Parts: sequence; structure tokens; C-alpha cells
Amino acid sequence: MLNQKVIERVLCAALSNGGDFAEIFVEDKLSTNIKLVGGIIENNISGREYGVGIRIFNGFNCIYAYTNDSSEENLIKVAKEAAAALKSTSSDLTLNFLKGNDRDINPIKILPSTVEKNKKVDLMKKAYEVAKNYDPCITQVTVSYLDEDQKILVANTEGVLAEDRRVRTRFSVSSVAAKNGEMQQGFYAPGASMGFEFFEKINVEDVAREASRIAKTMIDAEYCPSGVMPVIMDNEFGGVLFHEACGHGLEAAFVSKGTSVFANKLGQMVASPLVTAIDDGTIPNGWGSTNIDDEGTPTQKNILIENGILKSYLVDKLNGKRMGMKSTGSGRRQSYKFAPTSRMNNTYIAAGNSTLDEIIANTEWGLYAKKLGGGSVNPATGDFNFAVMEGYLVQNGKIVKPVRGATLIGNGLKVLELIDMVGKELALGQGMCGAESGLIPANVGQPPLRIKALTVGGRKGDK
Amino acid sequence: MDYRNLTQEILSRGKEKFEDLEVYIQNNKQVEINVFNGEVNKYSISESGGLSLRGISNGKMGYSYTEKLDESSIDMLINDAYENSKYIDSPDEEIIFEGSDEYKEIKRREGNLSSVPAEKKIEFLLNLEREALALDKRIFAVQYCGYEEFHTERYIMNTKGIDLSDKISGAAIYISVIAKDGEDNKTGMSIRIFNDFNEVDYKEMAKEAVDEAISMLGATPVKSGSYPIIFKNLVFADILSAFGSIFDADQVQKGLSLLKDKIGSVVASDLFTLVEDPFMEDGFNSRSFDDEGHKTIFKKIIDKGELKTYLYNLKTAIKDGVESTGNGYRSSYKSSVTVAPTNVYIEKGDKTLEDLISSIDKGIYIINVAGLHSGLNQVSGDYSLSAYGYEIENGKIKRPVNQITIAGNFFETLMDIEAIGNDLRFNMSSFGYIGSPSIKVKKLSVSGE
Repeated sequence: MLNQKVIERVLCAALSNGGDFAEIFVEDKLSTNIKLVGGIIENNISGREYGVGIRIFNGFNCIYAYTNDSSEENLIKVAKEAAAALKSTSSDLTLNFLKGNDRDINPIKILPSTVEKNKKVDLMKKAYEVAKNYDPCITQVTVSYLDEDQKILVANTEGVLAEDRRVRTRFSVSSVAAKNGEMQQGFYAPGASMGFEFFEKINVEDVAREASRIAKTMIDAEYCPSGVMPVIMDNEFGGVLFHEACGHGLEAAFVSKGTSVFANKLGQMVASPLVTAIDDGTIPNGWGSTNIDDEGTPTQKNILIENGILKSYLVDKLNGKRMGMKSTGSGRRQSYKFAPTSRMNNTYIAAGNSTLDEIIANTEWGLYAKKLGGGSVNPATGDFNFAVMEGYLVQNGKIVKPVRGATLIGNGLKVLELIDMVGKELALGQGMCGAESGLIPANVGQPPLRIKALTVGGRKGDK
Repeated sequence: MDYRNLTQEILSRGKEKFEDLEVYIQNNKQVEINVFNGEVNKYSISESGGLSLRGISNGKMGYSYTEKLDESSIDMLINDAYENSKYIDSPDEEIIFEGSDEYKEIKRREGNLSSVPAEKKIEFLLNLEREALALDKRIFAVQYCGYEEFHTERYIMNTKGIDLSDKISGAAIYISVIAKDGEDNKTGMSIRIFNDFNEVDYKEMAKEAVDEAISMLGATPVKSGSYPIIFKNLVFADILSAFGSIFDADQVQKGLSLLKDKIGSVVASDLFTLVEDPFMEDGFNSRSFDDEGHKTIFKKIIDKGELKTYLYNLKTAIKDGVESTGNGYRSSYKSSVTVAPTNVYIEKGDKTLEDLISSIDKGIYIINVAGLHSGLNQVSGDYSLSAYGYEIENGKIKRPVNQITIAGNFFETLMDIEAIGNDLRFNMSSFGYIGSPSIKVKKLSVSGE
């Protein structure tokens, strides 16, 4: 993507005023976005993002600069401007690049750019028909198609020179059900690090039915009661619980500054012994999988919590330096416009021994959260929140009725200790995770599990 | 880079395939500085931009974009936009605009951001961090202390004769501190948006953040139930912005806004007036033309509770047979034209925050909510948000409250507004530069203990 000699000269320019590490990140990304609303294609945009980011470390400090103009002349200029923020003197630099990354954990069969657009559009129209005709209460359906082909190159003064290509495809259906002047929404959006062969793996009609099923269930639901109660969280996107409650707090960006509630807790019991949690950037074709992270480090499978004991953080280069720890292959960024930092890839709680049926049967009263929406966390306090998209009331070991509009809140350190049943049926769900280094694709996941007591915020008032 | 030559080349070459076409260019210069423990830990400078092409062929609008701005991109841009236009089957008429008859001049206050040296910006942040850490010994860390500065240039040129450009600059300083008492961690934050460095005072910001964090120590939930609620000004601005799409004519036309068929109806308390003013002297979205080249317009969206208008771009206006309200908006050159306001605010009332608090026997003053991107449904208006603030008893603030949720329906909340403060404050949001005073609402469902 960039000539090795140019890379060398840019890195040298970056360290011309001192500093102990320089990195160049080149990105060239093609994207296609198609949106269908109410049966018609309303939007169809494609384009190319292209740019270069240059990063310099001086001790624990980081200087970052980026540009769209990748001519050698401009890159040297940008590198020198960035270097100007440093005032020490340069030392001699010898670069020996070790070409890295020959594995391919995300093999692609059909590049999206080789597929005719009408095939993509046909899938969307098919999904629309199924979602719309699911039930008369479905009044509006939006279908989105996304594919992207991101090529990156990372090189640094430690001799890393690596390239990666990330092809991703995502398909989403959002259905709206209306009744008596009220509206409810159902949403389902599977994605993978795959090309067009993704549609051999998923059936868009199933995606459509799922979105409409949720909307229809929720339009007939009552408001959720509020209060503290046991909550059963189902698998797949239910994993956003761990993502928000703990995952962000394990990111070195917060831990290295001592501003995470999980700082200085390695080796300590931070969760129920039933909990083992993993972040794995190497799941083949996983939504959050990459061969190398955005700092050129190969991704790996990181055991974060094992049987309740905190084993590892998610570490990037700069924060690792601050903590005296090696990168865990977790340095990620949305694009060349962001300096990378520690982030999650595919994060999940490992399977346990119970089944979902057993968990429900053992619950006298509580909320069964079948589908969750998004959430957020304040890593400094550990306070998190997330929204229940599809929920049910459980009474005497049985699901009794659907309930809507619930938000779950709690504290990351406490909630992990309160997990008292973990199921077998592990599944992952796809999300976009937003933080300091931008919006990145990430898998969340878990088996169904139960939290003994969680605050449920609904509109109905007390049970 | 010579935008003008490149643009003219695109427009003239594109004419072979399109009836009309338009180029939209955004160019951003950014500076970002973060300090931690008395040192600069991140310093970022950038200059970047992108170009979007859209063109009409057989009545259908195709879009494409690129960040590689050179001769080699021209053919790809034109071919992609042309190819994309073929698949559009929306029957809605779209046009490339020939321009408004006149554009009002923006009298925006000139800032001094570019002339302030980086050292001074860094010094401000270091002072801010030091001051915050020194104010109270329970402040154990500064989570974020940063400065962001942006200069955005916009160019629109099309084959109908539009040739417009403008520039907006601004900066933000923010600090978030952590107070610690035993195992109890609480955060507090302060943010300022400005374009004149003389307007900001680090001592005031440090105190605001520290006071908030310290005051929250020892917070516990309240009993679940129904309580009168006061929303802090910036909190209500955030919630309003999250529900902003209800005013978007596109959402209305698609049946995704419950404000459909409500023009002329009462949709809010008669205390509530919502204004869009594109010409504010100190507005960070002040502009004389929107992203389609249409002139911007001052308007009351809701006037004393009555819904007056939706927000329109050209496409949605044609569909409803009305004039565009100058709300054509592109979140970037990567997106198509949607709808958004420029500067928007709730007109302030005559009550001080103290008046609002003293009017409540038992209630809650909410100073922060979380979960705005997930805990609300723009279509139904339902929301349930994680929140913290203070319990009010007998007209006085009694104690800090956290780990609660507040739940309601936004359309009902607008009707249930009982009083509006005089403390109008603005923030940047996805729904424009948005302002709100503190707002008192009759009742919301609170989940706590």
C-alpha cells in the first residue's frame, strides 16, 4: 500500500525530534450502504475512505496526526509537524522490518465488489416482503445492507510491517408494529467478517421474521414493572451485559490510569466462580475478528476471568507500556482518523452447566430478557445500563407474559458476583462498540444466565 | 489541493451521464490535546476531508464519495454514483437546487482559537487538572482532561449554478474527575464550548466538576415509585436531541413519528416553545445555507405547546407540497442528505433553578442520564434511562441519589412540563447545537430500591 522506502523515511522524520517509537497506519476502505424503506430502495451510497495516521510515543505520551494525502512529500511534512510537538534530540534509527501476518483467520470466498448490486437489492426486497407480511400490525419495515473492504498497513520503528484485509458484511431488518396509536420496534442485524458468502450462512427471511416477531410481541406487551428482581438474560446479544458491565472496565485505557474499578485486581476474585469470560480476536470469520490488531500485533484469545478470578486485561501498546505489560493484540481503531487504544474483539462468557429451561423453571418471580438493545457504562464507577428490547415476566418457573420498555442498571463489580446460574447454550451477537478510538465492530456473547438481583426500570411502578 | 478545478472537472465530465449533478466538499482541521498527571499524554493534529458527488439520472439520485482527492478518483466517483442511481426506486422526486433568491448574512462572533498558541492551550489544561486535584483530597484522579478544536469548511457547487462555501470554527474543553471515599467512586464533569479562549475559566470548570463528584459520594437509590422530576438544563437538552427525529418530515412521512397529522395541534405544555435560529451570534451551527444550498430560516417548531412545522429538506418538502425549511443536512460527505436543525433551543422561562426545587415537596433533581442511545424508542416515545441526581424534600436538596432509572413517554413528558427555568444552556448534539433550560415535569416512574 506504501513503498517500504517511503515508510522508512516517514518513520525517521517522525522521530527527528526524539521520541522512542513511531508508527504509520495506512487505510484504504471501500464501503457500500444500501437502505430500503417501505419496499423501495431509498438510499444507495458507495465510496472510498483513504488516509494515513502517524503516531509517535515519547515516554507515555502520544502524538497523533493524520491526512488524506499520501504523497511522500506530504507524509514527511505531516510527520515533521507531529515531531515538532517534541523538543528532545533525535537518536540514530536503524529499521529492520519483519514482515508479519501470514495467517488468514477470516477467509473470504466472494468479495462483495464482485457481486452485482441487484443481487444485494434482491435479498433486501425478499426480506422486506417477509417482514411486512409477517402480521397486519407491521406497518413499516426498513432493511439495510452494508459491506466493506478495508485494507490496512501498519509499520513501526520496532520493525513491524504488516498488512491486513478486513471484509465485512452486515444485514439488518427493523420492523415497526403499530396498534391504537402506539408503535414498537423490533430489530435484528447479523453480521460477519465474510464476503457475500455470508448469505449462504444466514437466511435473510429468518432475519426478517425475527425483527417482525419482536415488534409484534412488544406491541401486545404491557409495561414492565420496576424494582429489584432476578433477571434471566438470554444468549447472543445478551452478552452486552458483560461487555458493558465489565469488558470496558478491563480495557487498559482505563486500567493503566487507575481509573477503572478493575485496576489492581489481577488474581482477585471479581465474579461468581461460575463465570469465565474470554475475549477472542481469532474466531474464524467473527464480526470482531482480525488477523492483526490496528497496531500490527496478531490478535489472540485472552482469558479475562477464569472461574471468577481476574486473569488479564485488554492491552494495547501505549497503555501496556504504562502498565509494564505486553499487548494482548487489542489495539483497535475505527479508521486512520483515530489513534488506537485497547478495545474488545469478540467477548463472551463461557458456557456453563444449566439449560435455559432449567433456569426459568428455577425462578419464582423475575424478568426474562430475551433480547437486549444497547447499553453503556461509566468505567470509573462501574455503573452500567442497558435496554431490554424483548422481555417477559417469569412467575412460578414459567414465562407468563411479554413486557416492554425495561432498562437494566447495576454496577459491574457487583453484578458479576450475583450471577447464580449459567446455561449451556452459548451464542454470539453482533454490535458496534463506540469509545475513544471510534466505532468498531465487536461480538458480544454468553449462554443464558441468571442474575440474582438487578434493578429493572420500567414504567409500571412497583410489582 | 485545488478544489475548484477538481470540482469543475467532475461536473463537466459527469454531465455526460447525469442531467444534473452536485459536488459537496468538507474539509476539517482538528486539534486534540489530552493531559494526564501533569503531562500532555495525547496531542493530535489533522487535516482531512472528503468529496461527495450526487447526480440525477432518469429522475433518480445516485451518491458516491471519496477521501482520495485527485484526478484518479474522478471516473470512479461518476461511475459509482451513476451505477447507484439505477437501483433507486423511490418514487419521490429529488432535485439539484438552483439556489435561494437571497442568503442572510451570518454575524457570528469571531473567535481567536487559531491565534492562541498550543502552549497556552496546554497550560490551560494543566492548570485545570491541577486545580481539580487540589480542590478536595477525595478527588483521586482526573479521568479525562482535554481540548478539541475544529475548523470545518464546506463547499457546494452544482450544475444549476450554486457555488457556496462557508467555515465554522469552535472548541471544547472538558474535564471528568473521580472522587473516592472507601470503595465508593463517583464522577463529576464540566464542559465548555466556545470560540474565544478568554471566555473560559479553569477554576470555574474545576470547581463544577469537583463539586458534582463530591456531592454524589454516598449516593443510594430512592424507593421505587412516581416522583416529580427536575431535569438539569443540559440533561433535558440531551434527551430532546435523542428524540429530535420526531420533528423530521422524513420520519413523519414514513409513519415513524407520532407527530404525524399533528400540525396545529397541542403537543406540549403551553409553557413550551421550541425555536430554531440559524442566525445566532454565538451559535455553533449558525449558517446561512443548508447542505443542499437552500437558505436557512428562523422558525418556531413548537409555539406555546402548538406544533407549527416539521423540519424539511428539498425532497421531503416536494413530497408534502411545501417549501424546504432549510434543514437539508449531511452528517458528512459519506452520507446522503437527511434532515436536521442548525441551532435549536427551548425558550427559557422565568424561574430560577432554586424556584423549581423549592416548588417540590418530594421529588428528584436529575443531573445526569445514561443510555440515551439504547434506552429510548424514538418511534413510540418510550424511554427508560439510568440516572443520578439529588433527592428533594420540602423544597430543599436532601441527599445524592444514584442507581435509579426514570421511565416515561417523551410525548407525555412534553405535555407534563409544569415549569421552565431561566438557565438556558447549550451543547453540541446530533440534533444540532441544542439548548435547554432546567425543566420540571409533573411525574415520572422511578425505579430504585
